[in-house]
Amino acid sequence: MIRFITKKLLYGILVLLGVVILVFWVFQGFADPSRLVLGQTGDSATIANIKKELNLDQPKWKQFTLYLNDISPLSFSNKEEIERKKLKGFFIGGENKLAIKVPYLRTSYQNKRDVWDILLEALPLTILLAVAAMLFATVAGILLGVLAAVKQNTWMDSSAIFTSIVGISAPSFFMGILIAYVFGFLLSHFTGLHLTGSLYDYDVNGKTLQLKNLILPALTLGIRPLAIITQLTRSSMLDVLNQDYIRTAYAKGLSKRTVIWKHGLRNALNPVITAITGWFAELLAGAFFVEYIFGWKGIGKVTVDALENLDYPVVMGSVLLSALIFVLVNILADILYGVVDPRVRLK
Amino acid sequence: MPALLEIKNLQVDFVSDETRVTALKNISFTVDRGEIVAIVGESGSGKSVTSLSVLQLLPSPPAQFINGEILFTKNNNQTIDILKLPKEELQSIRGNEIAMIFQEPMTSLNPVYTCGNQVMEAILLHQKISKEKAKQKTIQLFEKVKLPDPSGIFNRYPHQLSGGQKQRVMIAMAMSCKPSLLIADEPTTALDVTVQKTILDLIKELQQQENMGVIFITHDLGVVAEIADRIMVMYKGEIVEQGTVEEIFKHPNHWYTKALLACRPALHAKGERLPTVADFELTENIVGSIQSAVDKTSSTTNYKLQTINQSTSFIKVENLNVWFPAKKTFLGKITDYVKAVNDVSFEVLKGETLGLVGESGCGKTTLGRTLLRLIEPTSGKIIFDGKNILTYSKEVLREMRKDIQIIFQDPYSSLNPRLTIGSAIAEPLKVHSVITKEQQRKDKVIELLEKVNLKAEHFNRYPHEFSGGQRQRICIARALALNPSFIVCDESVSALDVSVQAQVLNLLNDLKKEFGFTSIFISHDLSVVRYISDRIIVMNKGKIEEEGIADDIYHHPQKEYTKRLIHSIPKGIIPG
Repeated sequence: MIRFITKKLLYGILVLLGVVILVFWVFQGFADPSRLVLGQTGDSATIANIKKELNLDQPKWKQFTLYLNDISPLSFSNKEEIERKKLKGFFIGGENKLAIKVPYLRTSYQNKRDVWDILLEALPLTILLAVAAMLFATVAGILLGVLAAVKQNTWMDSSAIFTSIVGISAPSFFMGILIAYVFGFLLSHFTGLHLTGSLYDYDVNGKTLQLKNLILPALTLGIRPLAIITQLTRSSMLDVLNQDYIRTAYAKGLSKRTVIWKHGLRNALNPVITAITGWFAELLAGAFFVEYIFGWKGIGKVTVDALENLDYPVVMGSVLLSALIFVLVNILADILYGVVDPRVRLK
Repeated sequence: MPALLEIKNLQVDFVSDETRVTALKNISFTVDRGEIVAIVGESGSGKSVTSLSVLQLLPSPPAQFINGEILFTKNNNQTIDILKLPKEELQSIRGNEIAMIFQEPMTSLNPVYTCGNQVMEAILLHQKISKEKAKQKTIQLFEKVKLPDPSGIFNRYPHQLSGGQKQRVMIAMAMSCKPSLLIADEPTTALDVTVQKTILDLIKELQQQENMGVIFITHDLGVVAEIADRIMVMYKGEIVEQGTVEEIFKHPNHWYTKALLACRPALHAKGERLPTVADFELTENIVGSIQSAVDKTSSTTNYKLQTINQSTSFIKVENLNVWFPAKKTFLGKITDYVKAVNDVSFEVLKGETLGLVGESGCGKTTLGRTLLRLIEPTSGKIIFDGKNILTYSKEVLREMRKDIQIIFQDPYSSLNPRLTIGSAIAEPLKVHSVITKEQQRKDKVIELLEKVNLKAEHFNRYPHEFSGGQRQRICIARALALNPSFIVCDESVSALDVSVQAQVLNLLNDLKKEFGFTSIFISHDLSVVRYISDRIIVMNKGKIEEEGIADDIYHHPQKEYTKRLIHSIPKGIIPG
């Protein structure tokens, strides 16, 4: 098991390296970073200074090596660098130190803030939103899927299927606007919910926690995974309920409920886990539209804002973060398969 | 005292939107404590429907109980009608007073729970004892059904056990609450003969210890001679004959019983035409005399292959090894192998049928597939047509595949359910561009269908509309489409009922005579292999154990392993 995870992690590092290469070269071509930092004004001396500061005067391969050194948790840095970049971590050595550090994603062109801090601030909100959405989608989806399978060919089955097809077909920006309008505006009196809003409200009294603002975006985000989980659970359950061991379970004298939930569902879960973890990773990487529509200050909104301003360090940072999340969630999925189904468990 | 189980005038229909099929027509019988009653019949005869009715395990819809009673006498001497039982009471009887073992041990256990867990579940459900006690009891049960390392198996998952071991776990589960009635639905059909014998012995032993009533369902009359007290023969939803084992075997009355007794290949010389159910039915209707049917059928074809010794080599296998990686190091270097085929050398002579027998896991299927390069061997040579086919490039290999065909074991999964059988058979002709014109291809397919005793109108039907035997004949037609010179039959009749098996074996014999192909016949059943082959190779653990002329091996085996295989075949003859 440990060997398996190590192997997966090593593969993961390779994937991340690939992403870094891609991200670095792709974002090289656009605009002149020194102009972005400075704005339209500024004399050639200032621009040259900034170029020097951003290492833009160096050859490309050297820029890349420096970038890699910055984002790698294991790197070489000198004293001056550590101070200037405010690196956090352990440092070994004299003038030139070997560092085990928090990745340094450089600073925003816009407001000079450390990109790592910006992302770290947004990440918990995205995680909260993704977890809430997936929790809703998973619980409701599995329930509906099992119900549809057990009551196959009845009105319950067909309505569950119909709803899920609608759910799959409706794009989230459309559903987002619709849901925001209906529940956050038209029915605002009854629901007490607002069109937009993030986890915290800032007013004269300081910041207040607004957990209710989570409801609408989570609902919107959950609809598509919900629909897909419902369909997958249903088809997988239908398959499982025809298996011989289900008949064995009935022959033992178990009640229908125990047979379905204990013997049936666990066998039907594997394809569902693939869907759940896949969607979860996707939502963690930022639900761009939904976060934007509801003004939820997560990774998705940060990225969209950064793109608008051509703030590449932030965009690059969030792309890398997304890649990391995908790698980690996939390892988690592989472990989950084994937990649910001993046949794929590793020796 | 009332009988343990009494079924009175039971009629079961299967109802769908438009159709109504009567699966059981007014059947009545009784089972008493301490006796084993066998129900024998082919697939679709209603024997499984009968057994599933007793526990009310038939899916409803489509099943409907039209009339009749299933009277069961409980341990407290109260007699109840199972058909009228409320759900909760039914659940308290299932697995407790009436238990069941199923045909497929591979799929009858839930793959995600440990064996111990599944047996314990039944105990905890029906008895008020602690978990700890239930665990002890489960391990005792595992000892009782003679599982090796009972406490180890408690924590193991079904996929880590062999088929025979899984069936023992199923038996332990069935025995867990000391049922007074045990229903065994083809419990040994999916197992090797050697394993079958041990399972039959175990069921008999437990039945005597616990004084249970047992309903034993099978399609093979040979199996029941060793285990049953009474036999009921079912045909098309009716009990056509019942009696003691001796009565049925020595003086069968109904033509169908006679057909079942006669069609087993063990009783016939090599190449002799096997009598089939259809032969008996025909004779019954027209002449009314059975003996003439037997005489007629057995004398029609009687071909022999005396030329084996002078025959030339057709395929020569030299030091063939097929190894699968078993253990890998961190960097993917393979450190240990499963040697599925281990240094095997043999020859197939032109025109012969070579039988390949052995228990499951002995490497016979791997060997068969390697001959077609469906599995790539680790090392060795396969010389076909004077050339080593292992050196062939992809293109040459494709060309060669025209000449070598395979017929698989399971006719249910080896046909694509979305292709009509016409297009399934035509596909090889199309792929290899043998016949390019659509109409000519269709004519050829119809000709092939007729060769395997199917009809031209079957051309546009889908596989699910056919029975197992018919499907296997479709697979044979598909294999013959390219007129191959070599056919590998991989357990091609193992999944079929004895009565259907006879038809398919006859067909193979006829076709072989007509097309003159060379073949390898792989099976775990020595009596079938003996019947169809000229020579036999016995395989054990990846190696060749014994090799020789079919009748010599069957009647005078030299090796212990072969003797054990032959000894385990149910003789179907009652002692004395």
